[in-house]
Amino acid sequence: MEYRFNLNNRIMKELKMTVDKDLKKTTKNTETKLLMGNRAVVQGLLEAKVGLTTAYPGTPSTEIQMQLYRLSKEGQLFFEFSVNEKVALEIAGAAAMSGVRSAVIMKHVGMNVASDPLMALAYFGVLGGMVIIIVDDPGCLSSQNEQDSRFWGKFAHLPILEPSTSQEVKDTIVKAYELSEKHNMIFFVRLTNYTALNTSEVEMTVVDEKLGKNGQFVKDVKYLIPARYIYHKELHGKLHAISQDPTFQAFNELKFSDSTSDKLVITQGAIYPMVEYARNYAGVDVPILKIGAIHPFSEKHIVKLLKKFKYVYFIEELETYVEDEISSIIGKYNLDIKVFGKNKLGIPQENRILPDLLLHPFKLIASDPDDPQTWDFKLPESSPYPQVFNRDGLLIPRTLPRLCDGCSHRGAFHSIKQAVKADYIVPSDIGCYALGQVSPVEVGDYWLCMGASIGTAIGQSLVNKKPVIAIIGDGTFFHAGIPPLIDAVLYDHNITVAILNNRLTAMTGGQPSPSSTEKIAKNQNEIDIEQLVRGIGVKWVKSVSVENVQENTKLLKEAIEYEGPAVMIFSGNCVVELLRHDFDLGQAPYVDQEVCIYCGICYIDFSCPSIIKKDGKIEIREETCTACNICVDVCPHDAIIPRKK
Amino acid sequence: MSENRKQNEKPVNIAIVGLGGQGVITLAKLIASTSFGLGKKVCFNEMHGLSQRGGSVQSFIRINEANNPIFAAEDVDLVIGMEKLETIRYLYLAKKAQPKVIMTNKYDIRSTHDLGLVVFPDEDEIDKEIARYSSEVYLFDALGYEENFKGKFKPLNVPVFAILTTFPELGLPEKESKDLVLDYLGRNMFIRQINKKAFEEGPKWLKKLEESS
Repeated sequence: MEYRFNLNNRIMKELKMTVDKDLKKTTKNTETKLLMGNRAVVQGLLEAKVGLTTAYPGTPSTEIQMQLYRLSKEGQLFFEFSVNEKVALEIAGAAAMSGVRSAVIMKHVGMNVASDPLMALAYFGVLGGMVIIIVDDPGCLSSQNEQDSRFWGKFAHLPILEPSTSQEVKDTIVKAYELSEKHNMIFFVRLTNYTALNTSEVEMTVVDEKLGKNGQFVKDVKYLIPARYIYHKELHGKLHAISQDPTFQAFNELKFSDSTSDKLVITQGAIYPMVEYARNYAGVDVPILKIGAIHPFSEKHIVKLLKKFKYVYFIEELETYVEDEISSIIGKYNLDIKVFGKNKLGIPQENRILPDLLLHPFKLIASDPDDPQTWDFKLPESSPYPQVFNRDGLLIPRTLPRLCDGCSHRGAFHSIKQAVKADYIVPSDIGCYALGQVSPVEVGDYWLCMGASIGTAIGQSLVNKKPVIAIIGDGTFFHAGIPPLIDAVLYDHNITVAILNNRLTAMTGGQPSPSSTEKIAKNQNEIDIEQLVRGIGVKWVKSVSVENVQENTKLLKEAIEYEGPAVMIFSGNCVVELLRHDFDLGQAPYVDQEVCIYCGICYIDFSCPSIIKKDGKIEIREETCTACNICVDVCPHDAIIPRKK
Repeated sequence: MSENRKQNEKPVNIAIVGLGGQGVITLAKLIASTSFGLGKKVCFNEMHGLSQRGGSVQSFIRINEANNPIFAAEDVDLVIGMEKLETIRYLYLAKKAQPKVIMTNKYDIRSTHDLGLVVFPDEDEIDKEIARYSSEVYLFDALGYEENFKGKFKPLNVPVFAILTTFPELGLPEKESKDLVLDYLGRNMFIRQINKKAFEEGPKWLKKLEESS
């Protein structure tokens, strides 16, 4: 065992020498800038000289990926939008095994997909530093759930760091690479939508050299033998070693340590600035222990930090992770400390934390904890979250997002609506088209996770005596939709799949997808969905353009009647992507008022926001219309007339 | 953090609320960059889910504060509402603060309203409510501005930014702010001209609402 580590170090030294030779002269300019947390991640990766980065698009981590994508086009480092998070992690993992510093960037749910290779890769360890940057979405602002990624640390036996501000994000990433190489372990750096989307000032070093990715794979018996529990044991040892590392322990910081209070507030890195704000706003003189190293804990270090306190209060976002860990240490070491958990303080265990939620808890912290009256309170009924519907009799409706003016999905939805009627099941998927479920379009019964539309469609078709149409976008289809389609062909399941192909990962702001054309992603081969689907063995396949709404309706009816898997590929453009290249997309069509009979099909069923009702007439709003002309074919009375481009 | 930044000044807390596509985040960036350029500490956040598609968007900014951009509702100094419904949604949270309010008269009633799926409150109902939470309300006549503004592109955030330079407590000097808009949003001459005009037009369409109205 000893021998191997020495070998690793020797290889690392050699590698570093070769890598250093590749690099140009380093310029050491420092500057201070306003940086969003996500952009600070990129700055950290540059300063840590990370040569290989991979990702799958996912908000709220998208800004990291887009910036890396831009840098890779300029040739500064290697970056790719991998086909899914699992592939992204495998690519970066292999690079790190061969001694190259690598990073994988994903949103919280991406880790579910990537977890399979990770669990075993953790046993291998890495030679080059490797950091998984994972951005959580408390409050589900743009996600299907709000799972708490801090649990991955315990589950995969890997350390997790959690920075608070943009400056800390950048510094943490640089340190994470040093620690990762020192301990041959993969590191997690966890951000939340608070840290990732906050902009604050960062002092940084300008890095403008090209970052290389030359590695060297060294064969090792440890990658082969089946008795992997040996490396499980080794991993426990590494975790212990890392918990004792002073650099790692320094991420847990006692703030306001000059306070004489015998009370202590313990919180996590991700919400620390907000907790500090609430403390100062409420005017409570109490020190705060900021836990920036989420996993693993050094029991002795924590005991040392807690020694002089009699009362400990926990403030956390989402689950009671730090609370449970530290409470168990307090119990184990029989410390004479009274513990007040976040539930006792009335802090919800779901949704994001906002400062308003912390004002009452700090009042409780200021009160006498031994007086039972302190804890006899009822939480105020009003919620600080913006989803307020009803106040003093005035109803404030929720603002729901909608498909864009000129979105090509709307054409496909209209065909589906006409072909489907009421008695069908329509599983939808993750992407812009999930907005089709919002009234008044109302296409789609549920969405679960990437690719689940096809898998659940099979299940629905087996137990329901109703036709099932799965809706899935091109990016999602490539990500996780192909295996369930193979299953459908293999067992001849009777489902219809509508693939909405806009050749783009649109929901996250327009990243390339495998079916992207050259215009969007240069140096990339376009993968033809129709060929792929036929290759799997689907017999009923049709590629159509979304504008031919009526024609597509007929074809879709045929597909539904077909016994066995049928796939219909609707192609259209993402209008936001078009607008990125061209401000003026053409002249809006107009409504021939003499022909229009106000049937409402375009206004209500199709429901493009540019089709409006004005003085009892249907009109097209020229300022917002993007001249997609899909509505022309939607009108059964030919009352919408296109204008020449 | 650099030491030459001004310390110990009371933070100014601003909430910008609106809908996706109205330029909420860009407005926040403009305010932050100008303040930062003047040597102040500043930070801001963005809260959006499906912003590009007309969803609710908010940005909180704190001038004279370095790290935490989010503040408690009762600590808000200024609310900038790009749309009426979003303004009232966030003013409801300002229980004790009596913040200054700059509001546009844009009111985005959806087709869902016509279909009877969602009932939207009347505009004067909203105005009455806003008067309950603030006695200092300024109305930017965005509809009048847009009607008079020639051309297809009518930026909403740039005129509002110009209006902010007329409030001395924010410390945004007009000249520097204007230069920044043109540098920051002036990728080509066409856009530059539009933004220049929008910046000059903005303050002309602002009036203070009297308490009785």
